[in-house]
Amino acid sequence: MNITFIRRLISASIGRKVLMAVSGLALGLFMLVHLAENLLLFKGEMAYNDWVDFLLSNPLTPFFEVGLLGIFIIHIVMGVWVRVEDFINAPRGYEARKWQGGRTIGSATQLYTAAAILAYLTYHMLTFRFVNHDMGFYQMVTSAFRNNFFVAIYVGGALAVVLHLSHGMQSAFQTLGVSHPKYTPFIKLGGWLVALTMMGFAFISVYYLFGLDLGAAAVEMTVVQ
Amino acid sequence: MNNSKHFNVTIRVWRQSGPDEQGRMVPYEVKDISPDMSFLEMIDVLNENLIKKNEQPITVESDCREGICGCCGLVVNGEVHGPDEHSTVCQLHMRRFKDGDIITVEPWRVRSFPIIKDLAVDRSALDRIIQAGGYISVNTGAAPDANSIPVNKDNAEEAMDSAACIGCGACVAACPNGAAMLFTGAKISQLALLPQGEPEKQTRALNMVAAMDCEKFGNCSNEYECEAVCPKDIKVSNIARMNREFMLANLFSKH
Repeated sequence: MNITFIRRLISASIGRKVLMAVSGLALGLFMLVHLAENLLLFKGEMAYNDWVDFLLSNPLTPFFEVGLLGIFIIHIVMGVWVRVEDFINAPRGYEARKWQGGRTIGSATQLYTAAAILAYLTYHMLTFRFVNHDMGFYQMVTSAFRNNFFVAIYVGGALAVVLHLSHGMQSAFQTLGVSHPKYTPFIKLGGWLVALTMMGFAFISVYYLFGLDLGAAAVEMTVVQ
Repeated sequence: MNNSKHFNVTIRVWRQSGPDEQGRMVPYEVKDISPDMSFLEMIDVLNENLIKKNEQPITVESDCREGICGCCGLVVNGEVHGPDEHSTVCQLHMRRFKDGDIITVEPWRVRSFPIIKDLAVDRSALDRIIQAGGYISVNTGAAPDANSIPVNKDNAEEAMDSAACIGCGACVAACPNGAAMLFTGAKISQLALLPQGEPEKQTRALNMVAAMDCEKFGNCSNEYECEAVCPKDIKVSNIARMNREFMLANLFSKH
């Protein structure tokens, strides 16, 4: 059995980058689905809790969770590996150095936003995943969104994701060799759009923080009366 | 001769007497510079003065002085190959500077390009990448007819654009990670795009990437600083092509 081609995915620089790109795109896709699920909050307690119940009762969900964790681990391990090598091999010692316009804030802060996202994710797991869910998921989420401190961290996490993806999306396509004078500008634009879409997470939390849902409920109540 | 436009500059140059020696920045005043001089000619003037004063001249590599050999890689005021876009240092003219300027001149500071002396670095790591597969194997014999293999005009143009790479190493010097992927991408592309390079393209991609990794270059983080400084305007689409060629070869070749 020849496993050179699998070994090369890890031993070759491009192999590691490809693993990071594929796992990154998968995580981006997951984030979009996650955002769509969060939007169910706006449909009310019933709709949101029903969806969560459906997910929890689905026998495939644990496998999906493990798979997602695996993808995260691949992305993090490959990312750190690549970055450590970059750190070792980076040109250094220039008395003066000017970037020539290729670097962006997103690309230069890729490692820092990654660390911020990981820190946020740990907090996210501790506050939403590994807690008692007796009060119901809708109540748990919306009450967290009425907490200043929580929303501040939540918005910070979303901003880190936006910045991370502003470089990461187009970078993944380039690494996978998807480059064409016709399509690359659209890929770059699309990458930014996906990144900015992640502000949706922040929007939802702020919506509840300022009690905008209560305003809507009050209007509904008045109409009913 | 009208010397009214001549001016004086101070250059701060990296002086290092040998590969293992400690280096430092040393300031030199260069007087009576013509704005029409190239940057290297300005260094020539300085070196002549140093020799007259019985001091060691500054070691700087140069060959063609017309922007096509890739020898004269210098970092001028923090900019790889100086302030002109898509240009080499020999094509940089002193008219870009003004009287009294203090100009910082440094060599490529890349792990894989050890400094030999002063501003000269050893770029043979790039040669070893080429040796790993940057060629086509052709049996000797009579030269084939030039028109026997049809080549698509667009591909011919694109291969020519990739082949314009002069191997100066600016992409590595400018890369935040010290990656040589623009260089290797261009060298893989120039052959992958042509029918003559087609038969060996899989082994070429695998071997050249392996050689590149061997030389302790960094990994590309797709920030495209390399494209911005490349004197030959080599595009990062060459890196995408290398990634593509490498992955396809890894998945579908027998190696």
